[in-house]
Amino acid sequence: MLPAVTNEAHEVVLRTKGLVKRFGSITAVDGLDLEVRRGEVVGLLGPNGAGKSTTIGMVLGLITPTAGSAEVLGRDVRARREDALAGVGAMLEVTSFYPYLSGRDNLAAVAILRGGGALSRIDPLLARLGLQQRGGSKFRTYSLGMRQRLGIASTLLADPALVILDEPANGLDPAGQREIRELIRELAAENRGVLLASHLLYEVEQVCDRVLVIKKGKLIASGTIAEVTRGGSSYFEIVVADKRRAAEVLRGLGVKEIRETPSGLDVVADPERGAELNRTLASAGLYASAIVPRASSLEDVFMELTEPEAPSAPPAS
Amino acid sequence: MLRLLRSEIYRLVRRWMPWIMLALIVITAFVLYFLIWASVNAQLQAVKSGAIPAPPGGTAQFDEALREIAPDRVAQFGVGIVAGLGSVMLIVFAASHVGTEFGWGTFRTLLAHGASRGGFLFSKAVSLFLYAVIFMVVGTIAAIGASYTVSAVAGISPGSGVDLGQVFEVAAKSGYTFLPYMAFALAIAVWAKSAGAGIAAGLVVYFAEGLVATILISLNKDYAQIVNWGLSRNASALTRTATSVQGQDPSFATLPDPTQAAIVLGVYCLIFLAVAYWRLRSRDVTVGS
Repeated sequence: MLPAVTNEAHEVVLRTKGLVKRFGSITAVDGLDLEVRRGEVVGLLGPNGAGKSTTIGMVLGLITPTAGSAEVLGRDVRARREDALAGVGAMLEVTSFYPYLSGRDNLAAVAILRGGGALSRIDPLLARLGLQQRGGSKFRTYSLGMRQRLGIASTLLADPALVILDEPANGLDPAGQREIRELIRELAAENRGVLLASHLLYEVEQVCDRVLVIKKGKLIASGTIAEVTRGGSSYFEIVVADKRRAAEVLRGLGVKEIRETPSGLDVVADPERGAELNRTLASAGLYASAIVPRASSLEDVFMELTEPEAPSAPPAS
Repeated sequence: MLRLLRSEIYRLVRRWMPWIMLALIVITAFVLYFLIWASVNAQLQAVKSGAIPAPPGGTAQFDEALREIAPDRVAQFGVGIVAGLGSVMLIVFAASHVGTEFGWGTFRTLLAHGASRGGFLFSKAVSLFLYAVIFMVVGTIAAIGASYTVSAVAGISPGSGVDLGQVFEVAAKSGYTFLPYMAFALAIAVWAKSAGAGIAAGLVVYFAEGLVATILISLNKDYAQIVNWGLSRNASALTRTATSVQGQDPSFATLPDPTQAAIVLGVYCLIFLAVAYWRLRSRDVTVGS
């Protein structure tokens, strides 16, 4: 159940302005502006090396920006790091805890550091993340999935307004991934802002209200899932026996792209051209068993947006 | 910052390494006291029975060696054992205490949970200092206990007994001389993000610097003007006054003034901690750091 809406609802919990990070000659993040509000889950997408973890590192004050700023709850992270991070729970891509301590003791070590009643949240969080049975076991004995769960539990010790999760579903089985998706939605329902960096596009599609796609450190697309996928191509899945001839015939219609599939062809074309495709194939004696209009998924759009540029042609001699 | 220190101590008391080191120093004190008595006594009995010839001067040197075990000599002998072993153990511990945070990736975790870099270094330095104090106290008590126990077993007169004031003054001065070496090991561990590097560098400086200083002074006493600004000479100056043992080493005559030595060692601690802080502050913390 959603908590009562307070005057804090929809407050911006994270805002970056013109965030830039250069490592020598490499620009890892290039003028990134982003916002996360209370009650929403924002997905941060990008291929490996796109700058997601560097962005999170700058938000947490682990990495010093070359330019720009990051604010949490209106507090500048560079100028007032400890104040700013008091409202943040973050789980980094690699979950690291003390191997000689139990899961519970690791949470206690973080809770002491956090203060403010965090110690009293340990047992409820272990239960919430399904770790109550293994809370007393040493961290070094934990599986990858259990380490991830402990990492997520640690983010909630300080009852944060902003939760940052970098690849939280790493190492989790499908049931565990579903639990984490549900947990993320619960966090948003508790009026927290969630920034989720993930490679699992299905996961992002399921839980995120908005997505930000970055490539080479630059924001290349942002909006709700519907807005972002609207920018992608719609296509028809055509089931046909003679794929080669069908492709020749359809090329004559000037369609944008034809991809061969095991059962036929995927033809990228405007949604209203279905009847025309059907008629053209039939008049060429090619009868399709099915012509199904499809919209691009987030994965399709992500692949289109982030695919590497084709190498430029060598100059004519 | 105090919350980070509390968290540091919470983790420290749950780690095996500090407890094992305390157990080792206690066991070592008892074992060394017992072995020295057993060894000297065996030679003494052999001389008395005629199995081996008596050394020039008779058995007086054996009696003097056995006197070292007596409680009234703990300040010189017992604390010397604790300091000799403790210095190496505390250098190793200092480097491990900091370096493992980088190896385990927990430095990033602490920072991500709001810890500051200055707070991290402060909590490490304070917890190391507290541990060094506890280590010296436990080691010194163990040496006193070993002295009384072995003296009783061996029938050695306790003499005037332990002068606790003198013993703990010597222990405090010895412990103080370890601090710059620990700070150096800490600084190297931070710089290299590695416990191993801190241990190696700390031990090399600890053993090699004093040796080089002694060789240089034996070549030319004027070199004392230079090496007296190093760690080992200042540490020696402080422990020499602590133990009131002049020793046979002629280079002792050129040792710096004890007060100056204490100040120089303190300044070294501050320099090493400042270097560690500067390195920590200027570093981007990414995966693997």
